Parts: sequence; structure tokens; C-alpha cells
Amino acid sequence: MAPLKDIVPAATNTVNTRFIVLEKSNTIRDGKASTCLSLVADETAAVHFQMWGGECDAFIPGDIVQLTNGIFSYHKNNLVLRAGRKGRAEKIGEFTMVFVESPNMSEIRWSRDPKNPKKFVKEEGVVPDRSRIFTPSP
Amino acid sequence: MNQSKLLKINPHESENPLDLSLKESFSLCQSQLRPPFPLKIPSPTEYSHLNLALIYGTLTEPNLAKTHITHLHAIVVDGYKLFTTTLINLTNQNYHKLPETPRAQLIWVTSQLVQVSAVKVDSLLISLLRQISGGDFSEPNLWLCVKLLEIFDQNWDRLLDEQPLVLKSAVFVFLRLLSDHYRLVGIGNLDDLKRLEADFCVKALRQRFALCMKIGRDLVRLLQDLVFIPEFREIWKDLLFDPSKFQVPGFTDISQLYCVRTSSQYFLLRISPEMETHLRFLLTHVKWGNQKRYQAWFAKKHLSLPGSETVIIDIVRFICCAHHPSNEIIHSDVISRWAVIGWLLTCCRKNYFLANVKLALFYDWLFFDEKVDNIMNIEPAMLLMVNSLPQYVDITHTLLEFLFLLVDNYDVHRKEMIARGASTSFGILVRKGVIRSLEPLISCSLLSPLLRERLSTFVSTSNLGVVMKGSSDFCSRQLERTRVAECHVEVSK
Repeated sequence: MAPLKDIVPAATNTVNTRFIVLEKSNTIRDGKASTCLSLVADETAAVHFQMWGGECDAFIPGDIVQLTNGIFSYHKNNLVLRAGRKGRAEKIGEFTMVFVESPNMSEIRWSRDPKNPKKFVKEEGVVPDRSRIFTPSP
Repeated sequence: MNQSKLLKINPHESENPLDLSLKESFSLCQSQLRPPFPLKIPSPTEYSHLNLALIYGTLTEPNLAKTHITHLHAIVVDGYKLFTTTLINLTNQNYHKLPETPRAQLIWVTSQLVQVSAVKVDSLLISLLRQISGGDFSEPNLWLCVKLLEIFDQNWDRLLDEQPLVLKSAVFVFLRLLSDHYRLVGIGNLDDLKRLEADFCVKALRQRFALCMKIGRDLVRLLQDLVFIPEFREIWKDLLFDPSKFQVPGFTDISQLYCVRTSSQYFLLRISPEMETHLRFLLTHVKWGNQKRYQAWFAKKHLSLPGSETVIIDIVRFICCAHHPSNEIIHSDVISRWAVIGWLLTCCRKNYFLANVKLALFYDWLFFDEKVDNIMNIEPAMLLMVNSLPQYVDITHTLLEFLFLLVDNYDVHRKEMIARGASTSFGILVRKGVIRSLEPLISCSLLSPLLRERLSTFVSTSNLGVVMKGSSDFCSRQLERTRVAECHVEVSK
């Protein structure tokens, strides 16, 4: 089980983690399926998690979700975590998990590792602390 | 794995470990579950599997349930302990996920276990009582009330004999539910239910008052909410004017009940295990500044029905009397009990509930006696009053005013006792260092002069020796330091 702070963008379905859902945006019909962007977090970091199909209705804020073989990659220019076709997201509990809202792994700027272009590394410089999509209500 | 008949598992929800193990044992033992039953004595492992299989069978195969129970009676060697404790776990963790049939079967099998005096059947009944949600007037919830009342009614003598604690617990629960059920009109079956509840409680109070008395002072708190029901008005009158009617030797005055602190186990009865887990998590792990989301989730989950405001009364009682954080937590940056109660107060919309929540918060103040009472029960009210200054002076004002209203009116014939309780509370809270002095309240210019004068006279006549250093206006000084107190903004909004 990887803490969210350790996930790195990659084109492989290898992310195994658990998190609590903090917020959901509106569900969008995207072709045949519906998708829903959400803000999720664990005690180390937050990230944008894209729900797909049935997940959009199954998970609500406060749910603790276990992600098996998920993928953290660019999807239509957004860096999101999702189950993808090969992964699975399952509700395993509610409420009883602590979390932090920064850093947000989806807001970090990543660039290709010069030594290994298949890999991503964090870009030096100022890291946006929190989600710019899910901003705290006043 | 095929679909469970025992639990409703939603898509994208992980399998339930208890459900899995019951299902597994059931498929393992299926061949042994039909007569003729093997005569061989099972090994300990086989015995556990058989027990779990019989639970799954009893709950999901109503037409074979009698066979399964006969089977259970034949093999049992542990006083039904494994069978009952598994049902307790199932109830505590998954009652709300049980479909209609397993629910009905669970009640049926519970009544069977009561009849054989199964080990731990008292805890099973208590687990079921906790599943009755306050303020939920839906059919399944009212059904559970009726079913449990039937069990208590049909097994009255046996329970009285063997499980007096569970009977007291049932009295506590149904007295509490009655006040909610009587305020509702126009719900179909409710009249029958109210009748059953009232009959059960009146029987207990009239025939077994000595037992009910053991509930302690909260018995009075619950009864006072029922005075508009004729039978209870009579009980109330006798309590006040003719206590000998209850035929309890030595019981001569209601104040004897006031003196008995209600044990914390009663406050768990009106909080579901899930709600308890969430509250304890909030008060153990969630840091100041992070509570907003948890509070919103809690409110959505537990306080969103039109009637659920009533549960806030029980939650406040639970927080004051049944959740006492360790010193380590108190001195950490975890959110405090008073702050959560401050937030809960803002969730009350109707005055009736608000008054009852404030009463729940101050109840132990009124009768506080160092010998029997716990300072942790009165601490949240004091800290909420002091820490709401200066920004939330309204809260301080409302609470302090309410406390004096109680001192003057709660029981006019025993006013002295109550005034002593309240002043002892102030005294001990200062003496034990919960607050340094009452100066923040007494010198706060934002509070009405009348109220401050009242407090000042109240504590000086009761000779507390409370230090009231200087007379500089604490509030104005505090105002400048408003930023520090901003955590409270987060809490109340």
C-alpha cells in the first residue's frame, strides 16, 4: 500500500493505495460513460481522483476507498489518479481516516527524467500547495 | 463468490469479512445441516464452522430456521457464546446492511436465545437496542422498536431474574424514544407502538422502581419529558409528592435520585455503534482546523433526517459522560469536546431541542457532588462558555443564562440543592485548574451586567474562594487577541 506522497506519474497500472474522498465535482457524461473528478487524500498527500461509470454514484465524500492496480497519469491534460480498465476501486470504510490537503500530487509539475525519459521527476521550483480545482469554501 | 443473501453489498464496495466467513462455513458444512445430524462430536474447528454455518442458515433460510436452531441446541457446548457473540458483531457492524429477511430472522433467533438464557444474550439485546435510531420514524426503525418490545414483554420475568441490567437499559431506551414518538402525529402505526412503549415503561416504573432507580438521575431527565402523557403525569406526581407509592424502602424523596450519577453505559444506548466510532474518531484523531469536513460528513450521515435533531441531545450526553479523553489527547492539538458541542448547538434549529441539549450539557452541574461525580462530565460546558468569549459571546450568554434558569426553576422545592450543585461545579472547575478563574466571565463587558452580577453573587455567596484578580476588562483584552481564538470560528460555522 503506497502513501499518496510517493506516487509518480507513469503509464502503468501499478498504484495500490487507500484514501478518503473529500469532495466531488459534478458528474460529466463523457461519451458512453460518466466521469467525475474528485479530491481525495491520505495522511501524506492529496490527489485528484477520477471516478468512472458506477464509481461516480458509489463513492461519496467521507468514504474510504481502496485502489488496486490504479494508474496515475495524464488524462486529457489533467494529471489524475484513476482505476483505469485494469484497476479496481472499492469502498472499504467511512470517516475514520486522517488526511492532509497539501501537497496535491496532481498539482505538482512533473517533467521527464533526463536520465530515463520513461520516468517522471518533480520539477524544481514552487509547488502549488493545494488543489486549484477544489478550493475551500469561504 | 456468489451474491450474499445475508448482507446488501453495493457495487464498488469491498466484501465484508464477517459475511465471507459465515458464507464460507455455510458452504463447508452444508451437507451436515439437514437431518439426520451426525452423532460424531465435532472438533473445536468443526464446532466453530458449524456455529457460523448455523448462523448463516438461520438468518437466510427462514423456512429451515427451526431445524437449524434444534441443531444448535443439540450441539451446543459453550452456552451459545460463539453463536451469540457472532450475532453481536454482525449487529454492531452490519445491522443496517441486513435485508428484511435476515433482520426478521435475527430478531427471531434473539428471542430463542433469550429463552435458553444464552451466554451474552444481554449484550445482544443491547446491541439491538442501539440500532433503533433516534429521530428516524421510518417503517423498519419503528418495526425494530415493536419487535424488541415484544421480546422484553414476553420474557419479562426471565429477564428480571437473570438480566436486570438489560431491562434497565430497555427502560432507558424506551422512555427516551417515547418522548420523540409522542411528539409525532399522523404516522400510521405509531399509536400501537406508543401504547406498547408506555405500557412497558409504566410496568417497569410501577412494579420495579427499585430497579429503575439504578439508572440514576437521567431517569428524571427522561421522565420530565413525558409529563404530558397521563400515566406518566401520575408517576411524576407520586415521585414528587408521594414517593412511598413506589414501595422502595428508604426512598422518600426525588432528590435521592438526583444524587445518583447515571453510569456512562446508558449514554451509549442512544448512540449507534457507528456513530460512536465516528464521534470517538473525531475526538481522538482530528486536529483543530481539520474538523470542518468531518463535521459535514457526520451531519450528513447522522443528522440529516427531519427528526434527527433529537439525537443531538443524546450525543451531548454521550460526549460529556461517556467520552473522556486522556490527558495526552487533552494536551494535544486534537479538537476538544467543548468545540464539538459548540458545533452541535449550532445544528439545533428548534428551541425545544436546543433547550434539551443545553439541559443535557448542564445536567450533572445541577447535582454535582465531588464524592460521586466526575469533573469530566461538567468540563465541556465550562470550557465552551469561557472559550466562546469574546467572539461567540452569544453562546456564553445563552449558556450562562440557561444555567441560572435551571438553578431557579428546575426544581423549586429543591432549589438549594441545585444551587449547591452548580456552585460546587464552578468551584471544582476552578480549583482543579480546568479554568484559572471565573474572571473571564465576571469581568466580560460583552456579557449583560445583570448576568455578570448574578454570577458574581452566586459564586461569592457560595463561598468558593474563587480568585477574581483585578477588574480590568478581560474581554476587551481578548478582543485584541481575536486571531488566536479563530479556531472557534471554524468550529461554529
